[in-house]
Amino acid sequence: MGISGSFLYYSFAISLLGILSLFFLPIRLKANLAVLVIFLNSILTSFIAYHVLTEGTFESNFYAGAMLGNVQIVVDTLSAWFILIINFTSITGALYGSGYLKAYDNPASKLNLHWTLFILFHLSMVWVCMLQHSLVFLVAWEVMSLSSMLLVIFDYDKPKTLKAGINYLVQMHISVTFLTVAFIWVYFQTGSFSFLAVRTFFGSNSNLWLFLIFFVGFGIKAGFVPLHSWLPHAHPAAPSHVSGVMSGVIVKLGIYGIFRMISFLESDFLLLGEIVVTVSVLTGIYGILNAAVHRDFKRMLAYCTIENIGIIGIGMGLGLIGMGTGSPVLYYLGFGGALLHVLNHSLFKSLLFYSAGSVYQQTHTRDMDKLGGLIKRMPKTAILFLIGAIAIGGLPPFNGFISEFILYSGLLEGLKSDNLSQISLLVFTLAGLSIIGGISVLTFTKTFGTIFLGSERESHEHKPLEVSKIMLVPQYLIVAVMLSVAFVPQFYLNILSSLLGNFIPGFVHGGASGFTESAGTIANVNIYSMLFIGLAALIWILRAYIAKGKSKQIQPSWGCAYVAPNSRMQYTGKSFSKSLGKMFGFLLIEEKKYKELSVGEIFPKPRKHASHYLDFFEDRVINFVTHHLVYATNYFKFIQNGRIQSYVWYGIVFMLAIFLMTVVNILK
Amino acid sequence: MLSLILIIIAASFFTGIIIRVKSLASGRKGPGVFQPLKDVSRLFKKGVVYSETTSFVFQIAPTIYFSSVVMAMLVVPFGQSKGIISFNGDFIFFAYVLALGKFFSIISAMDTGSSFEGMGASREALYSMFAEPAFFILMGSLALLTGHTSFQEMFAALHIGSYISYALAILGAFVLMMVAMVENSRMPIDDPKTHLELTMVHEVMILDNSGFDLGLILTAGYLKFALYGALVVNLFIGVFPYQYSIPMFFVIQLVLASGVGLIESFMARFRMSHNAQFIFVLTSVSLLIFFGVLLILGKFA
Repeated sequence: MGISGSFLYYSFAISLLGILSLFFLPIRLKANLAVLVIFLNSILTSFIAYHVLTEGTFESNFYAGAMLGNVQIVVDTLSAWFILIINFTSITGALYGSGYLKAYDNPASKLNLHWTLFILFHLSMVWVCMLQHSLVFLVAWEVMSLSSMLLVIFDYDKPKTLKAGINYLVQMHISVTFLTVAFIWVYFQTGSFSFLAVRTFFGSNSNLWLFLIFFVGFGIKAGFVPLHSWLPHAHPAAPSHVSGVMSGVIVKLGIYGIFRMISFLESDFLLLGEIVVTVSVLTGIYGILNAAVHRDFKRMLAYCTIENIGIIGIGMGLGLIGMGTGSPVLYYLGFGGALLHVLNHSLFKSLLFYSAGSVYQQTHTRDMDKLGGLIKRMPKTAILFLIGAIAIGGLPPFNGFISEFILYSGLLEGLKSDNLSQISLLVFTLAGLSIIGGISVLTFTKTFGTIFLGSERESHEHKPLEVSKIMLVPQYLIVAVMLSVAFVPQFYLNILSSLLGNFIPGFVHGGASGFTESAGTIANVNIYSMLFIGLAALIWILRAYIAKGKSKQIQPSWGCAYVAPNSRMQYTGKSFSKSLGKMFGFLLIEEKKYKELSVGEIFPKPRKHASHYLDFFEDRVINFVTHHLVYATNYFKFIQNGRIQSYVWYGIVFMLAIFLMTVVNILK
Repeated sequence: MLSLILIIIAASFFTGIIIRVKSLASGRKGPGVFQPLKDVSRLFKKGVVYSETTSFVFQIAPTIYFSSVVMAMLVVPFGQSKGIISFNGDFIFFAYVLALGKFFSIISAMDTGSSFEGMGASREALYSMFAEPAFFILMGSLALLTGHTSFQEMFAALHIGSYISYALAILGAFVLMMVAMVENSRMPIDDPKTHLELTMVHEVMILDNSGFDLGLILTAGYLKFALYGALVVNLFIGVFPYQYSIPMFFVIQLVLASGVGLIESFMARFRMSHNAQFIFVLTSVSLLIFFGVLLILGKFA
């Protein structure tokens, strides 16, 4: 075990020490210690990742008892890329969280548990990227799921939060079931728990089904439609720093898993690529459509995560198609775009969750239609949210545009094929991606406009104020990294280029020619973005020069000659997206609650009207199935009757059955 | 460079011609062709009134909107002469930089806190979202047909093919012109001369803008028309020498402008609720072009 290997032991020791001393610290220092531990762990593991990126793959193993045997730890460039993303987002999350939780009066025990879990959560995510022994991998995966589930239910006294947590727990275990089945299948065919056995399996068996099982297992984590239904519940329920980290990176570990399995594939690339692209386009459109109509801004962000997973998936599918058709350019553009979008999305989504969390902390509501005009009270948060909103729409000059541009280039590159079905699919994907872009402009103009612009719709008990520095600094850090991606993309593309060079060992790639060619174009794109900023600045200066000495008045907004306007008359977020919701009424199910006027009611009393949107797959598909399952299992209720005697009796029957079966040689 | 100059010249008379044609069609003499320019230059000299609910967003938005249109102009080529900016996939940059301008114009409308302007903003966002796939499928089909991905190379290579490619060019011209109508909020989608705030789209969004900012927004509108006109021209001129292509440019721009004027004189605006469907129809026209391209390339085998 080299220098790097011992780092892992150090990180264990630090975490253990940190968690233990957490219990003895006064409340105000607990968060600081947790941030410190996460920071140290990140430094250690980032050093390994850095080592991997410069020197090459790092391998190590440890002996884990007779049952598991030697457990391989492999950190290749793919893992390193994800580890760096995880570390950065976890540090900003912990920093932000330390400020975020300060505003609430939490008992020490709750904070102990919270920060312990956060440290574990971070560590388990890093370990998921390192372990290449399927059983131990599943353990790390499970630690990650459980710790994040317990982080989600921080406000466990709210029934909705608890319900969201249990929903998450159940769905994560469905995911684990799929993964376990897949790994067991591999084990039975090859007799090994090592990840490399997956390649052996793919070499001698059909690739399609095992990959699809893995895709479902990891896809539940990632949130591909229709496996997404935990996301819109868990993200709003969790405290904002947790949702930022969850949406930023835990979802990406599903993507990591799929990438890992892609690297082992041996055949069926084209078919799998087409499946992945189709699912991803639908995921993207479905996610953003739902994001557009919701009023709860954290739920909106959760749906937007689903949309971005779709965009990442399009890249993965393109890469697979590139492998299938033997086109290195497509391989580089597809996988490269996907991996860069993983980074980009982790940045702007955590930024959006943090700034949305700041709004929630100050106003105590997640309903955007109760807010308004916050740009005057929280200008810094407003600008940060605006930057996130522009970036996530993929608009220049921010980083989202770079990765979307790579994906568009990939789609156009794929059009050069001779395969009719592939061309048609890619043209529809092109249209899909542009619709996603269009709706995300609608979604984010609506959200930003409703929360931050105009005037306050409802007055607040405590006037919202700008949040503390400790909450703003991590967001500035994120913006800095975002700008570095936007204006120095070459740096990131070089890393990705070397990553993809080793990603599929058997795949012939004529140097990095395809990527460098488009990388040159991307270098130009950022120059043009700068040109754009320069142009805007020039016009701005011209405007200031011309405005000098001219009259400038402040008057009320144009009210169509109505003299008593009030802030409740403003256009709301709900009405902003109403027409879109109506048009896609078959997918966006609106549930309204109100009482009709009855015939004899001459003097109607005040009444309430409430409406909210339901998730199509959750309401129409998943609930339908589970209701029927519950109905069917009702018939077996007599088995679980609550009487200890019967349970003892079941035990006896079971043991007798086993005994008899061995006697008569049914069971060997 | 050439395209930039030509677009600016075309923009100077395009809107004036629309207004003149409308006046003539309704039996009036109408203002001079350069009246819109005079209006704008008068606005540039005026002071400003800001709404008290607005923030800095309202003030920077017109600048960003105008710069986005100028940036988009730099990308557009003219025949074999490239735009100032030309690279593979430049039409993506074109669409996205325009979207950035739109993003700001929408949030600036929301910034006034007026219900009318919010309504206009919501419609603008919805309609431009529907226009997006039509543009991308059209460009994707052209990329497929020509094997290139930058505006200039696509347009230059368009004419080597058979006569069917001209039929496709006509369909393409239709799509681009309709996208231009949506982007500029003109007749079948929106009536710029309507007098009720509830029925406006673009006009209602800029109710609170005044002075220099309003001038910028109007100028950007004029430029946008000529910009899409130039794209339409590009579908036809191909590699013709300049002595033919430059007059052709102006003739086509004139025809388009008077066409818009005539449509606005003899047609009523669509019902708001039907607009989205109408715009979506554009996508199917684009798909028609796509299938045409597949036919030409003989991919149905």
